[in-house]
Amino acid sequence: MVKRYFRAAYLSFLVHVVDIPPRFFAFLIFIIFLLFPITGPPESILLMMIIANLMAIYGASWDLLVGRTGQISLGHALFFGIGAYATALLYVYLNLQPWATIFIAALIGFVIALLIGFPCLRVKGPYLALVTMAFPLIMTGVVYYFKDITGGERGIYGIPRLFPFLNYNQQRFAEYYFTLILMLISSIIIYKIANSKTGIVFLSILDDELASKACGINVTKYKIMAFAISGLFASLAGAVNAHILSSASAASFTLTISFMPVIITIFGGIGTIYGPISAAYVLQILDRYLLYKVINVSTEWRTIIYVVIVIVLILKWPRGIARTAVDKLKDLEEARPVEVVYKKMKKKEESSGGSIHAPS
Amino acid sequence: MIIEAIIINGLMLGAIYSLLALGFTLIYGVSGVVNMAHGSLFMLAAYVFFVFTFQFPIGIFWASIVAVLATGIFGSILYRLLINPIINDEVAVLVVTVCAALILEQAVILQFGSYRKAVPSFVAGYVEILGVKVTYSMILAFIASLILFLILGIFLSKSKVGRAMRAVSQDREAAMLIGINTERLCMMTMAISAAIASIAGILITASKTGIAYPDMWQHPLYLSFAIVILGGLGSIKGTPIGAFIIAYAELAFMYLVPGAMSLAGAVVMAVMVLVLLIRPKGLFGKRIEME
Amino acid sequence: MHLLEVEDLTKSFGGLIAVKNVNFNVDEREIIGIIGPNGAGKTTLFNLITGYLKPDSGKIRFNGEEITGLPPYKIANKGLARTFQIVRPFRHLPTIANIMVALNSPRGKKRIEWVKTPERKAMEMLEDVGLSEMMLEPAENLSHGDLKRLEIARAMALEPQIVLLDEPFGGLSPVETEYMVKSIQRMHLDGHTIVIVEHKLHALMKLVKRVIVMHYGEKIAEGSPEEIAKNDKVIEVYLGKVA
Repeated sequence: MVKRYFRAAYLSFLVHVVDIPPRFFAFLIFIIFLLFPITGPPESILLMMIIANLMAIYGASWDLLVGRTGQISLGHALFFGIGAYATALLYVYLNLQPWATIFIAALIGFVIALLIGFPCLRVKGPYLALVTMAFPLIMTGVVYYFKDITGGERGIYGIPRLFPFLNYNQQRFAEYYFTLILMLISSIIIYKIANSKTGIVFLSILDDELASKACGINVTKYKIMAFAISGLFASLAGAVNAHILSSASAASFTLTISFMPVIITIFGGIGTIYGPISAAYVLQILDRYLLYKVINVSTEWRTIIYVVIVIVLILKWPRGIARTAVDKLKDLEEARPVEVVYKKMKKKEESSGGSIHAPS
Repeated sequence: MIIEAIIINGLMLGAIYSLLALGFTLIYGVSGVVNMAHGSLFMLAAYVFFVFTFQFPIGIFWASIVAVLATGIFGSILYRLLINPIINDEVAVLVVTVCAALILEQAVILQFGSYRKAVPSFVAGYVEILGVKVTYSMILAFIASLILFLILGIFLSKSKVGRAMRAVSQDREAAMLIGINTERLCMMTMAISAAIASIAGILITASKTGIAYPDMWQHPLYLSFAIVILGGLGSIKGTPIGAFIIAYAELAFMYLVPGAMSLAGAVVMAVMVLVLLIRPKGLFGKRIEME
Repeated sequence: MHLLEVEDLTKSFGGLIAVKNVNFNVDEREIIGIIGPNGAGKTTLFNLITGYLKPDSGKIRFNGEEITGLPPYKIANKGLARTFQIVRPFRHLPTIANIMVALNSPRGKKRIEWVKTPERKAMEMLEDVGLSEMMLEPAENLSHGDLKRLEIARAMALEPQIVLLDEPFGGLSPVETEYMVKSIQRMHLDGHTIVIVEHKLHALMKLVKRVIVMHYGEKIAEGSPEEIAKNDKVIEVYLGKVA
């Protein structure tokens, strides 16, 4: 929330005082992201930004599900881990290259989400949360048990990097741009879905499922749809992550990984999509750079800090997590689904002289 | 040999699990809170017990008392500060209690390191029943659990507070109309739930596992909700039945499927998922879902 | 064949019988009312017909097809729409988006023009109930009267054959009530079949041609408004409560 005020204040400053329109500001940030590797940052910083790109995708995927339909998943690590193992196993057993396997892994995540979504999304709130928490656990057990296939507790090592043909220094460079583009494309897709007609239906489910049903909406179908899209992008993030780290292990199924998108999304503003994306970067920089390199804070204290901030943010929301989702939409300077609609209609009215009333 | 081991151990385990799950279902029934930090209370007690039997030894009995009290107080504070303000938002409660569990885990790592700590057992020595080695500790734990469970049962059905708890769990608004102070009752329930979880924590670590480690809060949590969902949410009767079924399922799996230690936890969760999907009410559940 | 046939419908909760052996039919283009004291089972009846509750026994047929036990969204898509007694708008969505949700249902997508420009159709619906000025307002900023109208507009967006209105006049001022009466009359003239549950008897009796009276879950009388007003049983049930 502090972040939100900061951002709003700063945007406001730029817009009103310095007179930069918000679109331009976003463009500026994009240029910075594009050019910063050229300044020759150390590999650890590049790696940090690469991970941030992936966490942005992961966080946005969670936000689409939880922030827009209100279906809570506390086990998103399931998809992250499935993405990692799928891409690893496809390499080990079928010798496919990362360029193919990461997208196949994303599809596998999509299909798995469909399969488990179908029975699971019929239960509500806390039950759904419990069920989603169960799956990564089950997967951990499966992965440990079939250790001949999955490498057990060690995991799978030696997975190829994305650009093995480049020399060592250039690899992180290339990986950064690759993940950046991936993040941009994924974010745009997720954002567009969230603000489409389907997105309106998602929000109706968030607001009032019973009323949505009365409007003829097959609520379960839409929930599964959101779940599946979310799973697809989460798996994609997990798969690419495996190639960045060159390994896949059961650490991808831990509660910590499940909780990451929760922290990112709550920090950034649930339901906004762009909130979690921004927060992913802020948190990575905070975590990896500030609290690790600059002030050396231990892993445990860092976790405690983030978790405490999450608690504080939640306690400040009288309307509850899921409902605050759409509140944030009111702060947007960008187009809401209906403002786009209104602009379209205005254009038509001007061109055809139609009888559409304009609100005063 | 294996069958006897399963049967005997299952009895012990089932009894303690009943206690653990009872604490969980109690707080859910009375206040509607799914306490993801329930396992953390279990863990807290185990660590406090460790501290007062190893670092500042005051004897096993007193260490237990301190552990139970500390956990009870911690649980009440947790409820008061973190849960009560957002009690109407189920999802927020879930996230916040997971946060609390994570904080506790990190705190434990900071204080004790991430390695396992040995916890002394109650009484040394063992006896052979049906060819199975049963430690005196385990027998003690078994008896203690049974007695405690009985006491709680009587408390819930006969005492004024207990009856108030049942009333609130059946119909919160009606209970308020009769003049029951639901908020204070929920606090009390939380304290009792924490105390029960702490006792289960001490019993299991001292008599069975003998170790304490930072992520030991997860297993009891998952067990608790698997049991409660199987037995039926809000049903006191269903809890021990669910507990014994889960205990036996877990043991059977561990003994009969070689090398499947890790899978045992997964099996428990799979059971829970299946129950939720096929018969969300569980065996004896009372909650009706509108949809 | 009647448009809507309710046959021997029964529903109980625990020991309480909410609806008991209720039988009635509705023909096309009729406009009928269901009245009865609080707790008579009227809303339960609506919930049973629209699929939100499953009956213990009995059948419901719509257009000759049995719809008992179908989920609410399927029933809505078949052309049986409803409003809620306590308004259920999509609070954070803008008013026009509330309508657009219905237009995204399978039934809403049947009309190609709507799929291409749902905004146009949504605007029309809002104009019909006089809400076009609030088009971009989040629904939660609307007054109670506006929300009641939105509720109806949303149900009508499905272009249903039959609409079940659950207390459409609830909480409305006399002016708003008049407006609502006119809206419902217009809906009826447009060819829709309407079933209204209502407490405000004077508004209701002006609108409907036939009245069904419920009490303790049973149908105790049926007839024209005049007949019902003179019916001894009904008077006894409503003793002292005529609006």
